[in-house]
Amino acid sequence: MAPTLVSAAVGALLAAALLGRAFDRRAVAVVVAAALLPRLDAAASLVVPGATNAFLHAVWAPLLVGGALYLDTVRRPAGASALRDRFGRRGVRVAWVALASFVVAGIGAALFAGEGAALLYPLEDARYVVRGRLVFSTQEGVVQTFLAPDGDGPGVLPLGRAGGTVADPVASWINPDGRPGFDPRADREFRFVDGGWQLVVVAAAAATLAVRFGGRDGDTTGDDGSGASDDGVSR
Amino acid sequence: MPSTVVHAGFALLLAAGLLGAYYDRRALAVLLVVIVLPEADSFLGLIMAGAHRTVGHNFVLPAVAALALYYDTRVRERSLVRERLSPRWISVAWVALFAHVFAHVALDWTHLDGVNVFWPLRDRFFQLDGGIVYSTADGFVQTFVDVRVDPETGSRTVDAGAGGTSETVHVNTPVQPRDPDVDVDEPVDRRFPIANSGWRLYLIGLGLFALGARRLQGDGVGDDA
Repeated sequence: MAPTLVSAAVGALLAAALLGRAFDRRAVAVVVAAALLPRLDAAASLVVPGATNAFLHAVWAPLLVGGALYLDTVRRPAGASALRDRFGRRGVRVAWVALASFVVAGIGAALFAGEGAALLYPLEDARYVVRGRLVFSTQEGVVQTFLAPDGDGPGVLPLGRAGGTVADPVASWINPDGRPGFDPRADREFRFVDGGWQLVVVAAAAATLAVRFGGRDGDTTGDDGSGASDDGVSR
Repeated sequence: MPSTVVHAGFALLLAAGLLGAYYDRRALAVLLVVIVLPEADSFLGLIMAGAHRTVGHNFVLPAVAALALYYDTRVRERSLVRERLSPRWISVAWVALFAHVFAHVALDWTHLDGVNVFWPLRDRFFQLDGGIVYSTADGFVQTFVDVRVDPETGSRTVDAGAGGTSETVHVNTPVQPRDPDVDVDEPVDRRFPIANSGWRLYLIGLGLFALGARRLQGDGVGDDA
């Protein structure tokens, strides 16, 4: 799967970009944890065949949570929202950003840069990946191979496929061969980064957090002595 | 190059995280100009050999710019920049510099022949490629920087992905679709890549998502307390 560190880094960048005034250490921790949550389905694969990149990488969990969040925070009249009552407006903001992080940094990373995500699991047994190219060439016009309407194998979405969830299980740190059953003596591999671009994304995320948490010292957070909404912008 | 669109996408994500109260259309416009501008060294390639990935793609000029900006705005008693620019645009300049380094130069560093990291101090292309793995069998393994010790002489060689110089390296661009030193008798195919792999599309999508989400949140900063 796309390395854990990349999901965490993208989650951190989303936190910095979207949390606004709710940005603080705790909120960032929640959002980054949400980015890492989908890969817990690797643990489920020890029991359920082919659960890695499927169980929590399907669209159902975020749809459910998103629906519940919408009902609670948008549709209910002001003052009746359970989430807002308990955690305030800040909590609502963090919840939405965490959901976005779950989808974009968690599932998205597997879909675009990892071993794929079984978006419609368990309705169908196909793991999707987004791979291909989009080029404009003066000789051939627009060339795109991301969408494959008549791809082979099972699955209804017009995307590339990385095989079935059960037939070609995804190996992970928790479950090295991807099949049910725990083998304590198996050789485990934890990939931190895989390829230069991932190192760049991780470094950029680390630098961004350093700048944001640097507070007063950071020049880039917009608290440069202008007095405009001094506090709360960067922390 | 990963296309300019990819750079712009990643830069948007970084900017949304860093601009804070100064996140607005004008700041983003400046940022996009800073992201696109270095690609102008493609055109320089027509008159200077190997200019693309050299003149606009190194870590020396951004470092000099950062030092100059820091010195002028923080150390000097009378700041030239502060006299002309409001604090807002000084902050935007810092963010633009940050985005240039991470979203442009660093990403190009990982691609094809890489970038001319220390130009103009030293003319040598470097490419960042490798991985970091911890495995129970081999322990920590990283392959970004290859350190080799010659068992006979005991001398150490360090390979951080160094390649040719601006004399020998040509990175294809739509302006110069092929190495000018190579003669081929084919119609010229100028290719403008937008996203040549999933992760590049991902970075574009991340930028657009951040942009869209910020719109959806209203003014983005002040509506939550």
